[in-house]
This record gives sequence, structure tokens and C-alpha cells, in this order.
Amino acid sequence: MKKYPVLSLLFSAIILSIIALALYDPYLLNKRFFDYIGMPSYQAPPQSKPKPDMGVVTVCDELYPEWRKAYTIGGVDIQPSDACNPDNPYEVAAFVLGTNNVIMPVLMRTQLSDDAVIKTNDIDGDGDPDDIIIRVEIAELNGRSPDGEGLVPSFDIAPGIQPGAWVFAPKSRGMATANRETSAANHLLRLPSAPIRVEAGDNVTLILENTHYFPHTIHLHGVDHSYSNNDGVPQTSEKMTMPGEQHVYKIKPRHAGTMMYHCHVQVQVHFMMGLQGLFIVEENKPNNWVQTFNVGAGKVRQPSVGVKEGFDQEYDMHYQAIDTALNNLIQTSNDPRQLAEKMNRLYDITDGTDDYFMLNGRSFPYTLRESLITVEADQHTKLRVLNGTPEILALHTHGHKATITAYDGVDVNPLAQVTRDVYGLAPAQRVDLDLYTKDDGLHSYGEGVWLMHDHAERAITNNGLAPGGNVSQIVYRKYLNKHAMPNGEGEDVSPYFSPEYYKGNVPSWSAADAFGFFDDAGDKTITSVKDVVLVIVLGMLLGVLLLLLSSLYSFLHGVAVKLKNRQS
Amino acid sequence: MKVLLAIFLLMLLLPSYSHSAMRMGEWGMVMNENTEQLPQGCEKIAGEDKILIKAGREYAKPFPGTIFGYSQHSFSFPKCTRVEVTFINEDDIRHQFMIHGLPSYLHPQGMFHMELYGRGETSGTFITPNANETYLAHCDIAQHTEKGMKAQVIVGEGSGDLPSVPGITGQINKDVYGFDVGMQNVALLIALLLVGLSVSLFFFLRHKQ
Repeated sequence: MKKYPVLSLLFSAIILSIIALALYDPYLLNKRFFDYIGMPSYQAPPQSKPKPDMGVVTVCDELYPEWRKAYTIGGVDIQPSDACNPDNPYEVAAFVLGTNNVIMPVLMRTQLSDDAVIKTNDIDGDGDPDDIIIRVEIAELNGRSPDGEGLVPSFDIAPGIQPGAWVFAPKSRGMATANRETSAANHLLRLPSAPIRVEAGDNVTLILENTHYFPHTIHLHGVDHSYSNNDGVPQTSEKMTMPGEQHVYKIKPRHAGTMMYHCHVQVQVHFMMGLQGLFIVEENKPNNWVQTFNVGAGKVRQPSVGVKEGFDQEYDMHYQAIDTALNNLIQTSNDPRQLAEKMNRLYDITDGTDDYFMLNGRSFPYTLRESLITVEADQHTKLRVLNGTPEILALHTHGHKATITAYDGVDVNPLAQVTRDVYGLAPAQRVDLDLYTKDDGLHSYGEGVWLMHDHAERAITNNGLAPGGNVSQIVYRKYLNKHAMPNGEGEDVSPYFSPEYYKGNVPSWSAADAFGFFDDAGDKTITSVKDVVLVIVLGMLLGVLLLLLSSLYSFLHGVAVKLKNRQS
Repeated sequence: MKVLLAIFLLMLLLPSYSHSAMRMGEWGMVMNENTEQLPQGCEKIAGEDKILIKAGREYAKPFPGTIFGYSQHSFSFPKCTRVEVTFINEDDIRHQFMIHGLPSYLHPQGMFHMELYGRGETSGTFITPNANETYLAHCDIAQHTEKGMKAQVIVGEGSGDLPSVPGITGQINKDVYGFDVGMQNVALLIALLLVGLSVSLFFFLRHKQ
């Protein structure tokens, strides 16, 4: 090959590159280019992409709206509830009276086993039973199936978001799914682990029936209990409860307050998988039939006698966080041996970051369906708050300053009580709040739809997308619509009920943005003559480069042949 | 009090909670039993059969990677046969033996359901339909099916096997395991690779000649 074409090829490559750069953006060649030749002509930026199809969204997926009203079942007065899907009042009655004390038609309207809550013997003669047997099982949510890619039984914490989890649940009967046609879990199998209530002085027999495939225990955190075989700690007090086994915990708590219970096996994994719940010891009062379970937490539809003396209503509020790098491991294998290795030995919580933040097992917007605090003016509402996340919870109430009446189940001296609008809770801490809706500019600023959320800003997102996380609301009841959803005066919240939003496919302000100012910008198309020429020039450059490569090959080939000839 | 009584009577009248073929108690329940009614196409009860199913973690031992199991995971019956199932639970937790897909005019939701709330024994009866069909039987407690409590009930010729029945069929959504780098396994791997290599070389060289 002659030298001449190679040199000319190189020269052409340089010239073509300069032309291409000049066509693409001459500013890159010379910062003062436009000063010499005048300003560039107007070329319209691409049009916006079309608004995404959100599909049909359901804001409140109500099944039994009639359950919202007040009920009296078997003599139990059940308060009304403003949840989109309120607690089944028959189940509440069975929890209050005991599954052994309700008539069969009531029990049949629940999905509880006959021996879930057994209440007998009024030992102190004060009108309520004192021997209480409570049975809890452990259920996996959003686990793997060897038969397909769907998760079983499924539980959405937010639209289309199904992280793996384990929960303590009241002993139930029948199918794990809501019915034969769906893989969705029945209403008893859900986050958070159901809050448990007992009365101080009760002989409580708490039976853990380990229906799960790993060993577990129950540690009664903050609840008065004896040590031996009762503390739930495998290293100290007892053997682990293996799959298929049960363990009996016997307690007679002397001190009332907001406590918790959690599994103490591989705590850094099992606690974060969801095996943690509120355990509330109510004051001992006459005729005090307490609601043993409050499935899904939220409003307590039959508060205890002690709570009713000081408050109009009561809410359980359990905050949790999920690191999908841990929780979704259960979706990677069906073999418990592999899962044990991945979760206990390969996952490293010291490298963990939380992705989802939940109040009562759901993230916004599903918190609107079931975790609203609905109030009237001049009411006292008791909030029992548990921080089940691994970080500080900085709970903030808009429009209200509530009073902290207890820390970790111990009452604060009324003179020393603090009224504030950010309540800090360390991990596993509980505070009892008195939310007083008196419009005095301190306790309340008046009626409205007021936000309530963790002010650690990551916690108001679903894996980084806002609005999400543990955001909920304090809603004055006149602002509720007939589906028990808040009628705010702000933007339409329905787009957030589409899974598309949390896949990140929807511009943040899409629904509010009639002009399309903030829709996704479209991509560049080849429209102008300049674009056409640029592409052709790039093609030519490609051709020249190929020719150069070919000459290089010929050159190397020639060298090789020469070397070979010299050897022979 | 009158209101209470009225509610109570009203609830007694609602039919949704009770089926005649239901037994329930602190031990567990048997639901949608069928001892008498002939399935469509059956002229008479063609025969009687009895099976014993034990449930518990004990029966997971033969199948690595499972936690719970049945004493038997496949059952075969002729058509139109009355089958009396004895179900024994050997664990201290709930287990079920639930057959799905049966004729819904005999079994609401197509289900024959036996459940024991803990250690114990119960029995129930169903009549096999006049069809060549394989039915799913399992324990529907969360993750019990997946962790080994899955069986198939083959009536007549059956309609093929179900997936991931322990000891019978494999998984569709497969678990992935690492490769054993022990001497024997690696030696076998190399030997087989060499066989493959020489076969292809042999064919290639012969073709060239």
C-alpha cells in the first residue's frame, strides 16, 4: 500500500470531524464562534412526550363500607371507623369476647380459628375474664412460589409494591388467600404484626405456633414477664421454636403501658422482616373487656375502660421500614437453606439502606385508605406510637401540638409533660400522645386536612419517589367523602394510586399540569437540513475510519509476510 | 336487649355461614364433605376406598429444601369412588388437606377441606367425579404448599402431573444452586467436556478428509 492514500485518509478524517463538530455545535470548536458569524437560528426543542396512561385507578377499594358504622355485637359496643376498609366488627367482637364466647354465626363471619383467643374465669370478680389464652401464628407475605413468578400470598404496601415480609398474626382458619381466584393474602395476614392488648393482672398465656419455615421466638419487650423460658432470647432464656412447634409464654403483667413484642432470633433480620408488633397492657379496671388483637393497627374500635375515661378515641400507630435488599431475598429462592444463608450470612445490615417506610403496614397513598386519624373539634385522641424502623423517627403533626403522656409505657408526670410538634422516637421506642383538637392556636390551629409524617425526608418517599412513605393525615371528619377518603383542597391524589407512578414513569406534576410545562421532554429527531448533513458527514467519517483500519491490516499483513520470507 | 336479639335472629337467618356438610370445633374443621351425592355421569358409587394422610415436618425429611410434608404426595382413585380420608396432624401447629377443583355443585368453590388446629386426627369423605382429572391437594397456610405440603389426587387416567410435587415433579420457577467444585465433580466435568470436544473434532476432521 502506498503512503499517499493513508495520509489523505487521515486528512479527510480530521476535516470530516471538524465539519461534524461545527454542524453539531460550533460553540465546542470556538467559544466566540457566534460572535463572528451571528447568532444561531432558532430550532424548536422536541415536543413533550404524551402523558402516560395511568390505567383505571381505584382510590378506595371498599369491600364492606357498612362496617364503618357503630355496631353492637354480643353486647360489645364497637365504635364507628372511618377507614376505607374498616376492621370487621364481628372479628372485633370475637377479639373482645374471646373466640370461645361468641356464638357460631359471629365466629363464622371471621376467619379466626376457634381457639385463637380463649377468655375464661373472672378470678378477681370485677366483671371481666382474667385467664386469657392468645394464639399467634407466623405468616410470610410476598414469598416465592416454585410454580410461577407471582408472589404468594401477596400484600401491596403501596400500588404495585410487594416487598417480602413476615408477620405475627392471630391464629386463623382456612385459606391464606382472600379467595380461590386471587393470590392476595386474606385480611388477617398483613403488615404490621397485629397489636395485642391485655389487661394488667391477667393470667396471659401467649402461645406462639410456628407455622413458618424458620425458627422463631417472642420477646415481650417492656412487658412485665419472668425470665425462665419466657424472655424469647435463644442465647439466654429458651430454645428456639422450630417450624411445626409451639412455645407457651406465661405472663401476669403488673404494669400497664404501651410495649411491644418481637422475634429474638437473628434479630437484625427477623425484626426487620416484620416480626415486631405493639403489645399493650391496659390498666386493670372493672368490666374491662379489652380488644385482644387490633388487626392492621389503626383505630381501636373497642378501647379499654381506662382509655375511655380520658379519651374519645384511640389509634395504634406502628412505623416500620423495609430494606428490599433484605426483605426481597425471600423472593429469590424457595429453598430455606439458601434463604438462611442469604439472610443470616450474606446480607449485611451495616450496609443496609431502607427503601420503603410504612405506617401500619402501608405506605402513602394506601395510608389514606386506613391510617387517617379522623377527629372532631375538642376531642382527646390517644395515639400509641411505636418506632419499628432502625432509625430515629421524627414524627411531625401539621396544625397540631400533641402532648407526650408516656414514654416506653411509663406515664410522664403531668407537670413534666411536653407538648410539641415533632416527636422523636429512637428505634423500638414508644410514646403515648394526647392529640387534643381544641382550636386554641396551640393544641390545634383549627379544622382541616392536616398532614402527619416522619420529618426524616427519606421516609416520605417510596424508594425515593414522593409523595410516599409513612405520610398520613389528621382529618376533621367533615372533610371526609362518602368513601371515607379525605376531600382536601390541594391536588388530585388519584394518580398516586396507579402503580405507574411508583415505577417512576409519570412526571411528578402530570395531573396538575394542564399546560404540560413539566411533562417529560421528547427526544431529538432528525428534522433540519443541518441534522441531515451532520448524519451524512458522520457516515462519511465512519467510511474513512473503516478504510484506515483496512490499510492498517494490510500494513501489518505485509510486515508478517516479510518476516516470514526473511526466515525462509 | 331487643336490638341484640333481633341481630342475633337475623344472623341465624343468614345462610352464608353454614353448610350442612361442615363440622367445626376447637380441634379444627371438615368442610364441604360429600358422602352421598353422586357426581354427574356416575350411575352409582362404583367402589369404596380409604386413605391415610399424615402431615408434619417429619415427612419433609426425604425432600431436601422442604420443611413440611405429607406421608404420601400422590393418590390415585377410580372414577365415582367414595373415598374416606383419614387426616393426621403430627405437628403442634395448624395443617390442612384441601382438594381443589372438584365439581362446584357438590363442593362450594370446588373445595373439600380438612383442617386440624394442632396435633390430632379427623376424617372426611368425598366422591371422585366421573372424569379423568388430576386435582391439587395442599395445605394453604402461607408457604406450606411451597415448602412441601403439595400433593396430587389422580382420578381415572388423570390429566397429567402438577408441578413441584415433592418426589414427583420438578419446579417451574427453578431454584439455582452453585456448582460443586469437589474433585470428583470437576473430574467428571472435564472428562465430559473432553468427550464433547473430541466428538466434534472427529466429525470436523473426517469431513475435511
